[in-house]
Amino acid sequence: MEERPRALLLKFPGTNCDEETARALQVVGFSTEIVPISALTTETLDGVSLVMLSGGFSYGDYVMSGRLARLVTEQKIDAGLREFRDNGGYLLGICNGFQILTQLGLLPEGSLVENTSGRFQCQWVKMKKQADSPFLSLLPDEFEFPMAHAEGRFVTMSAEDARRYRENGAAAVTYDHDVNGSFEQIAGLQDETGRVFGMMPHPERFLYREDHYDPDWKNSAPDSAGSGKEKWGSGYYLFRSLYESVTSSN
Amino acid sequence: MSETESILDQIAEAPADHYRTLKISDLDGERLLELSQFMHLSLSKEDMLAVREIYRDWNREPTDVELEVIAQTWSEHCKHRIFGADIEHETNGKKETVKSLFKTYIYDVSNRIFDRKPGFVLSAFHDNAGFIKLDEKLAICLKAETHNHPSAIEPYAGANTGIGGVVRDILGAGKGAKPIASLDVFCFGAPDTTMDNIKAEDVLHPLGIMRGVVRGVRDYGNRMGIPTVSGAIQFDNSYIYNPLVYCGTAGSIPIKYIDKEVGAGMKVIAVGGRTGRDGLHGATFSSAALDTESHESDQQAVQIGNPIEEKKAADFVLAARDADLIEFITDCGAGGYSSAAGEMLEECGGTINLDNVTLKEPGMVSWEIFISESQERMVLAVKEESMQELQRLADLYETELIVLGDADGSGILKVTHHGETVCQLDCSKLHTAPTRCLSAKWELKTKSVDAPAVDNGGKDLRALLSDFAVVSREPIIREYDHEVQGNTILKPLAGASGDAPQDASVMRISGSERLMSMSVSILPEWGKTDPYAMGTACVDECIRQMVASGADPDRLAILDNFCMGNPDAEEELGALVETVKGIAAAAEVYGAPFVSGKDSFYNYFETEEGPVSIPVTILISGMGIVEDVSHVTGSSLRREDSLIAVIGSTESDLGGSVYARQKGLANATVPGTDMDAAMGLYRSYYEAVKQGLILSAHDVSEGGLAVTLAEAAFSGKAGLEIDLSSLPTGEDVSVAAMLFGESPSRLVVEIAPENLERVAAVFGEQSFAPLGRAAGEHSNLKVTRGADVLIDEPLDELKSLWKNGLAHYY
Repeated sequence: MEERPRALLLKFPGTNCDEETARALQVVGFSTEIVPISALTTETLDGVSLVMLSGGFSYGDYVMSGRLARLVTEQKIDAGLREFRDNGGYLLGICNGFQILTQLGLLPEGSLVENTSGRFQCQWVKMKKQADSPFLSLLPDEFEFPMAHAEGRFVTMSAEDARRYRENGAAAVTYDHDVNGSFEQIAGLQDETGRVFGMMPHPERFLYREDHYDPDWKNSAPDSAGSGKEKWGSGYYLFRSLYESVTSSN
Repeated sequence: MSETESILDQIAEAPADHYRTLKISDLDGERLLELSQFMHLSLSKEDMLAVREIYRDWNREPTDVELEVIAQTWSEHCKHRIFGADIEHETNGKKETVKSLFKTYIYDVSNRIFDRKPGFVLSAFHDNAGFIKLDEKLAICLKAETHNHPSAIEPYAGANTGIGGVVRDILGAGKGAKPIASLDVFCFGAPDTTMDNIKAEDVLHPLGIMRGVVRGVRDYGNRMGIPTVSGAIQFDNSYIYNPLVYCGTAGSIPIKYIDKEVGAGMKVIAVGGRTGRDGLHGATFSSAALDTESHESDQQAVQIGNPIEEKKAADFVLAARDADLIEFITDCGAGGYSSAAGEMLEECGGTINLDNVTLKEPGMVSWEIFISESQERMVLAVKEESMQELQRLADLYETELIVLGDADGSGILKVTHHGETVCQLDCSKLHTAPTRCLSAKWELKTKSVDAPAVDNGGKDLRALLSDFAVVSREPIIREYDHEVQGNTILKPLAGASGDAPQDASVMRISGSERLMSMSVSILPEWGKTDPYAMGTACVDECIRQMVASGADPDRLAILDNFCMGNPDAEEELGALVETVKGIAAAAEVYGAPFVSGKDSFYNYFETEEGPVSIPVTILISGMGIVEDVSHVTGSSLRREDSLIAVIGSTESDLGGSVYARQKGLANATVPGTDMDAAMGLYRSYYEAVKQGLILSAHDVSEGGLAVTLAEAAFSGKAGLEIDLSSLPTGEDVSVAAMLFGESPSRLVVEIAPENLERVAAVFGEQSFAPLGRAAGEHSNLKVTRGADVLIDEPLDELKSLWKNGLAHYY
C-alpha cells in the first residue's frame, strides 16, 4: 500500500472540529494525527505534509478569536509554521483555524470580527470560487457549505485592501451574498504561495451527499436509489483537491 | 439560654475550626427543624428526627460535614423522594394508594418492556444515563435535566451550567460516553407580557429570561462542540415566575465500556475545575420554592460555567476511556464531591482527603469543600498502576488531576481534613431516607364544547401560524451550532429551502452504519385540564416524530422529565399522578421503555397575590434507532407532482389545541390516544419507509392538520391541493376539528403517484387516505371539502408569518 501523506491536526483547548476534519482528511487519502498543543515541538512537524487548524473556540476565544492560540503556538515553536510553509508544507485553517492563521500573519492582512448581526450564525451558504487554488481545483465555480460562527466578518484596514485581495486572487472564495458583513463578501483567503488557505465555512461537515439539508440535492430522481447518485458532498472535493496537490508536489 | 439558641448562636459565629460537632441528640422536632432551616439543609422535621435517631443509635453527635452530606443525599434533587412516596390518590370518587410512583409506573413498566425486548436496553436507572443497543459494538444514551431555579435568578449562568451539567452526566455514564447531540426545551412567560402582569419584585421579564437562557445554552454548547439539534419552546403566563429550562444530551459508547465497578485499593481521583464557594447548596436550593428573597439571597447557589474547562476534561476522559484506564466515573453535580464520592463509595467505602482538593479561594471549611458544586469536575476510580499514564493524559489535555483518596472496602465513607476525621458515615445508612406520605386528588375538568363554525379558514390559519406556540424557532436555532461533529443528517431546519421545520433530528453515529433519531414532546396546555391525556399524547408525539424521521418503532426508548409546583397541594399532586399514569400506559403499549428521568418540584412562587404554580409539565424526550441512512425521512415537501395522504384518524375534541386557546374554548374535552391503533400505524409506516415508499412525512401537532400541511409546503417546492372529503375521522367531527384539531397519532405523508397502491396495501384496513396532491403549477395552500373552499392562501405569505413570528422578540 502506498504511503499516505501525513496531516497533523493541531488541537488547542477548545478546538472541537478536529475529529470530523480528521475523518474528512482520511477519506480523501491522508493519514492523520491529532496533536494537542501541549505536545507540539518543532520536530513534530518533520515529515508532515499538511498542518490542519480545525474549527472550535481555542481557549474559549474570550479575547479576540485566535489570539491566544497564536501566542501559545509562537511560544511553542516560534516561527515554525512559517518555516514549514517555506519548506513546501501546506496549511489549512477552517473557521477558528482561519482566525488563527490570520492572527499568525500567515494569510494576507486582515481581521475576523463579530458578524454584523451580532449573533452566532449556523446556516448553509452559497459560495463562489474567485481564484485558482490547490484547495479548490476539483470544486465547481459555485458550491455550498455550512457555516457556524459569531466572528467571521472579514475586515481590512481600508476597504481598498479587501478590493485588492479580490483582484489579486488572495480572496479565493466569497459568499454569494452578504451573510456576515465581510468586506467584498470574502469567505476565505490564500497566501501568495497558494499553500496556505483559510476559510470560515466548514467543508468537513459536507463530506457526504446526505449531509446536505435538501434530501434531493443532486438527485432529481428519488426512485433511482443507489444508481448514479452523487456519493460525495462539496467538502469531499475540497479535501480531495488538497490531497491531489500534496501528492503531485511531493 | 435554650439548647437550640445556643446551637444556633454557635453556628452563627465564624467557625473556630474547619469543622464542628453539633449536639442534636437532645433537641426536639421543632428545634431540629430550626436547625435545618438555619443551615439551609432543606430537611423536614421527620427527616431531622430520623437523623437524630441514627446518631442516637451510633451514640455520638454529627459533624456539620455529616449533616450537610445527609442533607444533600436526602434532598429531593438527589433522592426523588416524592416519586418514592406513599400517595393516597383520589380521582373521580375512586380512591387508591400508590406505593412509589417511580416503582409502580416507571420502573416496573420499563422492566416488563425490557423482558419483552431482551438485549435492547443495556442499562437503565442506576447509571447517569440509560443505554440502548445501537449495533453489536456501540450503545447510545440520553439524559435530560432541568435547571429551573438557577435560570429564574440568573438565566445566562443557569442555562450555561444546565447544559454543562447534563454533558457531564453523559461523560460520567458508563466508563465515559461521548456527548454527540443536545436538546433544549424551555417554558417561558409570553414574550409580550406587560410589566404590570408581573406581581412580584425582582422577577425578570420573560424576554430577559429567554435571551439569557438561549445565550447560556449557545455559549456552552457551541464551545463544547456538541450540536444542539432538538428542542421546543412553550410560552404561557404560568411560567412567568418559574421558567422551565430542560437540557438534554445524548452520547455514544462502545458497549464494553458500559459496566463499571469500584474496588478496594483503587485510587479516587478528580479532574477538571477547582473547588470554590460558588454553588453551595444548589441541590437543597432547587428543592424549595422561590420568592422575591430568593432573587437576593440564593445567588451563591448559581454557579458560573467555563466550557473550555469542561472541554479539556472531556478530552481527557474520552482518551483515558479509550486507553481502558477508567474503572468507574461519575460527574460532580448536585452535592459536589459529597454525592459523587458518596455514589462511588456507597458500597465499597473509602477515604477522601480534603487537603488534596485544589481550591479557588483560601479559607474554605470542610463542609464547603465537600458539598461545593463548582462546575466542570469529574470523579474517577482508577487502578493505582494507571496513575502515571492518567497524569500524562491530564498534562497533554491541560486539565488538573488531583488524588482525592482511596477506596478501601470498609463500607464506611470517611473524610479527613487537616489530619482530622471530619466525617465518618456508614454509606448504607445514607441512602435510607424516611418515606414520605402525601395525598393527591384529581377531578377531570373538561366538558363537551361545541366547535365554532369555520367562516374564514385562511384567517384562522394565519392566526395559528403567528401564534407563539407554532412560529418558527429559527432565530434561536441559528444561534446554536447544530452541525458541529459533522453528523447531523436530519437537521432541525431543512427541506429544499433549508428553513422548514422537521419533526425529529437524526444523527449519524461515528463507527456505525446505524443512526440515532431524537425528539421531544411537551404539551402543558393539555395537562391543565386532563393530565392523563397529556401523558399519553406526549409519549405518542415523541414516538411518532422519531418514527416519522425513519426510526424503527420497536427500537425506541424515552425519558420522563417532570416539573410541577407544590407537591403538598392535593390538586397539583393529583395532576402529577394522572400524568404519570398516562405516560406509563402509553410506554407499555408502545413498548418504549423509560431509561432515565428526572423531576423538579417546588416550581411555584409567592407573589403579591398569593402563590403561583406552574401546571404539571412533562417533557418526553426520546432516542431511537434508524437502521440505515436511506430510511431518514424529512418533513418537507420534495416534489411537484406527488400525492399527499394522511395516516391516523381525526377526532372531534379540540381541548388543549392552539385553536381552542385562540377561540377561547375553555375546558373543552382533550383528545385521547388510541395507542394500539397508533402502534399498528407506526409499524406499517415503518414498513413503507423500509420499502422506500415515503418521500416525506410531517406529524400533525400544534395547529392541527392545516398547519402541518403549510409547514410541509414551506420547502417551497410546490403548492398543495387537499380535499378533506375522504379524511378518516371519528364521529361528529367538525370542520374546525378537521382543520385545526390536534388529536394524536396522525402523520401527513408525501408519496410518489406510482407508489400509492403499494402504500395503501401496506396500511390495509388501517386509517390511511390520500387527500390530494402537490401542485407544481401554483404556490397556494388550497384546502377544500367537496365544493367548499376552506383555505386558499399564498404559501409565501403564510411562511412569512410563521418564519418571522419570533424574530421581533429574539
